[in-house]
Amino acid sequence: MSEPTTRTEEPEAGLAPPANRFTATLSHVVSDLGRNGIFIALVAVIALFSILTIRGGDSILLRPQNISNLIVQNGYILVLAIGMVLVIVAGHIDLSVGSVAAFIGAVSGVFIRDFGAPWWLAILLSLVVGAIVGAWQGFWIAFVGIPAFIVTLAGMLIFRGLALVVLGNANIGSFPEEYRAIGNGFTTDWFDTGLPLDPLTLVIGGVAVIGIVVQTWRARVARLQYAQEVEPVAWFVAKLVFAVVGVGLFTFALASFKGIPVTLIILAALVLIYGIIQNRSVFGRHIYAIGGNRHAAELSGIKTRQVDFWLFVNMGVLAALAGLIFTARLNLAGPKAGDGFELEAISAAFIGGAAVQGGVGTIGGAIIGGLIIGVLNNGMSILGIGIEWQQAVKGFVLLLAVAFDVFNKRRSGR
Amino acid sequence: MAEPTPGTPLVELIDVHKGFGPVSVLKGVSLTVYPGKVTALVGDNGAGKSTLIKGLAGVQPYDSGQVLVDGRRVDLHGPREAAALGIEVVYQDLALCDNLDIVQNMFLGREETSWGTFDEGRMEREASETLRSLSVRTVKSVRQKVSSLSGGQRQTVAIARSVLKKARLVILDEPTAALGVAQTEQVLALVRRLAEQGVGVLLISHNLADVFAVADDIAVLYLGQMVAQIPAADTDRDDVVAYITGSKSPEGEAA
Repeated sequence: MSEPTTRTEEPEAGLAPPANRFTATLSHVVSDLGRNGIFIALVAVIALFSILTIRGGDSILLRPQNISNLIVQNGYILVLAIGMVLVIVAGHIDLSVGSVAAFIGAVSGVFIRDFGAPWWLAILLSLVVGAIVGAWQGFWIAFVGIPAFIVTLAGMLIFRGLALVVLGNANIGSFPEEYRAIGNGFTTDWFDTGLPLDPLTLVIGGVAVIGIVVQTWRARVARLQYAQEVEPVAWFVAKLVFAVVGVGLFTFALASFKGIPVTLIILAALVLIYGIIQNRSVFGRHIYAIGGNRHAAELSGIKTRQVDFWLFVNMGVLAALAGLIFTARLNLAGPKAGDGFELEAISAAFIGGAAVQGGVGTIGGAIIGGLIIGVLNNGMSILGIGIEWQQAVKGFVLLLAVAFDVFNKRRSGR
Repeated sequence: MAEPTPGTPLVELIDVHKGFGPVSVLKGVSLTVYPGKVTALVGDNGAGKSTLIKGLAGVQPYDSGQVLVDGRRVDLHGPREAAALGIEVVYQDLALCDNLDIVQNMFLGREETSWGTFDEGRMEREASETLRSLSVRTVKSVRQKVSSLSGGQRQTVAIARSVLKKARLVILDEPTAALGVAQTEQVLALVRRLAEQGVGVLLISHNLADVFAVADDIAVLYLGQMVAQIPAADTDRDDVVAYITGSKSPEGEAA
């Protein structure tokens, strides 16, 4: 996965010019580590559970099947986290996404079971219903001016209720194979070579590695062209090697299990698309402006209501997609589906560095935050820690992450 | 009323009215702003200065009266319409987003795009050029976050933002209110430079020292009426204070 966070912060003002190459490298390492604390935290959590889950010389957490599972099990939370971080950046919140996911799962079941819709039509219509749900909530938030907290709290109840109504107090089970693929499928389902390492996965992983190298290299060259400061070669290469090795190992793990999960393909596409929206589109920039200073955004001619409205339409579609992936994975649309998803998605965004007051947060951060929660869930389950302690630990991690953020900001004088 | 500065007016307000419910804030105000001149708008709190500029900015349209730009009648119903006519406002609270950098703030609401995504290089270049054309040297990097800037630097960015798109009338609302002595000097010099570039400047200020330092014309609002618009050279501090406090009125004057 490419890292879409391009935090263009300048080095701290008033920093004395580094005396020699060693201290220059050191100061870059320190400032980078401080800036990417959340990524370091993910690496630390993975390292911790890799060691704790070693059984007979083999780490269960790092087994290819488990790595693949980790992605698939958390896919729907990560999809929600992408939408949620944008909502939070604009200074809102969405408590309804879990209920909406359940509602859409049920709706898709009805499309297939009662209306006999083909799988692709069912998925398409479900996403449209998600957009309508988002438009409904966006209307109250953007044009009536009711706080998102209230509207989506109501939505949490409304759509949980409607999910039960649609299901008629029963589960809908047994979905078509193609539908189930979005939660359960792998590339080897279609292109199976029977080799111990799936060649297609290796090729795609290789392309990703080349993409990362080319992209970071071009960014460095561009900075040099504009005569901007660049990091020392040693640190640049070290980071690049780390990224390449990480993606490489991940690719080998997937290739030796069943190939690339369909959920990961969906997720990768979303991260790329939303990374561009976040960093390079007018819509994305306006989301940040609204979160930073709503009044200033309005005076600059930004149509803040429209941005708010479309933000929630977008969240509705992503909640619908998460609901579909979850339903596909369980092969079941049930009344308890999506329970607590909103809290995991919100936690992911905040652990990933989003600020409660808005204006700050990145999709990359939210994804990493979601992965931290995922690794915690997975690792603690492997260790046989009960669900009650898992909850407590996750709560504690959320608090620590935000406290760390607050501490960091205070130290840098903001 | 005293003789206005000769030449073709850039913006003319003729008999504009604005009320909020039963309260009438602007009671038939006329004002003329010339290109390349600094016109100071003074008046006590509640005289209607803010309402007057919000009308010009298109944020709160006037109830009645005419607005002429280059002698042609225009309707101002939104910030975008005002911006399209080259009217830009720098608000007192600066209206910058702390979480964005200088370039992002200067282009907010009018980002340059190519193929649907930002043309960052072009925006950065234009922002730097604009700052340079205003002889701004206090800002280290245009990629600095606005939250890291001092009050004077923020004011500078806000003013640079207003002239980025070839503004013709820049309205400055109390630009020096929160600044120290040195920073005030810098901003006033910037105001003069704007006028030298041919931009019409409407400066709202409480500080008469600032007004006399930079203004060509002084317009005085008193309780929603324009009581005087006089060349700064033809008047003095006591005179202007008398207009502001209402102890001197256009009818009874012996100027």
